[in-house]
Amino acid sequence: MIKSKRDKLFFLSLTPFAISLLSILLLLVYVLFLKSIESLSAYGLTLFTKTIWDPENGVYGILGPILGTIVTSLISITTSLVFSIPLTITIAEYLKGYLKKIVSSIVEFMGGLPTIVYAVWASRYLVPLLKSYVMDPLHASLPFIPLFSCRPITGYSTFAAGIALGISTVPYVTSIVLEAYENIPVIYREACYGVGSTKYEAIKILLSLSRPAIVAAVILGFARSLGETTIVVVTIGNSMTLTPCLFAPSYTVSALVASQFANAFLYRYAESVLYVSILITTLFSILLSLYASKLIIEWRSRIVV
Amino acid sequence: MYNWRRIRDNLFKIIVLSLAVLALTPLFHLIVVVFINGLSTLLEAGWNFFVDLPPTPLSQRLGGVAPSLIGTFLLTLTSLPVTIALGLFTAILVTEFPKSRVSLVVDTIAKSLASVPTIAVSMVVFSLAITIVNSVPGIRVYLSPAGSALLGSFALIIVALPFSYTYFSTFLRSVPFTYKEAAYSLGMSRWAVIMRVVIQVVKKSMLVAVLMTMARIMGETAALLFTAGRYRSGVPTSILGPVDAIPLLIFDYILSPFEVWHRAAWGATLILLLFYMLIFFIVKIGVKEVKLT
Repeated sequence: MIKSKRDKLFFLSLTPFAISLLSILLLLVYVLFLKSIESLSAYGLTLFTKTIWDPENGVYGILGPILGTIVTSLISITTSLVFSIPLTITIAEYLKGYLKKIVSSIVEFMGGLPTIVYAVWASRYLVPLLKSYVMDPLHASLPFIPLFSCRPITGYSTFAAGIALGISTVPYVTSIVLEAYENIPVIYREACYGVGSTKYEAIKILLSLSRPAIVAAVILGFARSLGETTIVVVTIGNSMTLTPCLFAPSYTVSALVASQFANAFLYRYAESVLYVSILITTLFSILLSLYASKLIIEWRSRIVV
Repeated sequence: MYNWRRIRDNLFKIIVLSLAVLALTPLFHLIVVVFINGLSTLLEAGWNFFVDLPPTPLSQRLGGVAPSLIGTFLLTLTSLPVTIALGLFTAILVTEFPKSRVSLVVDTIAKSLASVPTIAVSMVVFSLAITIVNSVPGIRVYLSPAGSALLGSFALIIVALPFSYTYFSTFLRSVPFTYKEAAYSLGMSRWAVIMRVVIQVVKKSMLVAVLMTMARIMGETAALLFTAGRYRSGVPTSILGPVDAIPLLIFDYILSPFEVWHRAAWGATLILLLFYMLIFFIVKIGVKEVKLT
């Protein structure tokens, strides 16, 4: 690839920038590791089997926040998938000309909106709304299902955080699915209409063609929800509990860090425990998104002829 | 048979369209409530909202958000140029040598960086500052571990870098190879081709990348939690001292139990939303994209 001497010089002059990116990433992961070791060696695996935050007595267990993170992200990605697929189909199939441009601009607008704006709206309007129209009815009619077994007291809960996060990730998931959907070569569509299928049947086939991309979008949306802080902190209720009920206040890893990190230096292991929890989230998030982008690249090389 | 297929087709259309409308409803509701609540704050506080200090929890007056406004301005001013430079030159490297292994690695790194939770960045920058202050005597004057605009900017750069890189590399890649070919055939050097041809062709997209990076920096909250310092009792004067930011102020105030702080938060949210809308409209309307073939 690099042939002449001047080319080589040019290449070398740009490598510092690439190295700076690499060193930032390595530094981040290295510091997280380094800070985690202290409590990992002190507590070992018991850290992951209990749910307790008692810095005065030096007892910690982060099972609750870790499960809370996973459950919140699952609710979030389900919510955003329910809205993203129809939104994608609407933009790609049913809208034309100016209307299409406007709607996709609105989606773009939503995607870039600072998360703190979503957070303010969710904590003041969405949570009370969800409590009186979704959580209360669900609890009243299906109290025997463990997920809905507790009475929603304030509404600030895993469920509320998941829905709020889901709404904020709709544009992100939509943009990935839409890009994939519109990249399907036109011959597939022509083939569908050529054999006389209705629009619904054509969409069904085209969606099934883009299934790997949709899976990748789900993984990417999940990974993004894992580390999201602002929206979760103001909607989840921040409580160190472990319950199967979705309507009880809980913690995610990032919410735990946001509310405990400022005072953690006062206690011996507190800071380190927080680093352990965020290290796991970070590694998980990086691996998932790398895997998902590999899926998309593979899919593209297979489908685009 | 024929009828059933047609009914199913229409039914599907209705379901899809109504779900799509439902997906966009939160945004409209959000904009409406931010405007209603924010305007009531701004109208009551008037111009003072931009020049006053924040209210105390029990005060009757609304006060203002001057420290946070100036803090956000300082943070953006210090972190944006570095982010742009790093993002742009990395993108040039990757687009100029698309087949090289370095490009593949850089792409992967950027993706990984983008998926690091921003709060993790905040923690790492904070503890790095502590380590440096403890090991290098006399540096405390320049690097306050309690947070400063400098530390905040550093965290913001890490957070925004993968985004600016993605924007720049997408736009640079969109330049057709024929343009470069023509330039090379005139005997231009590689740098000249990039500076005089490639960047000129996508000049407006470059502006889009800069603006979107700026929007990202202005709205970031979690990266500043442990790095900026939340200095609200006065207007910051130096980038070495602690500062506040609009998103941080909103975050703290909306979590507080005090009514007057909630109202201040709504006002600040409206300001942030208006800023973001302004940037977005410049990007969408002001910068008309040139179609390349």
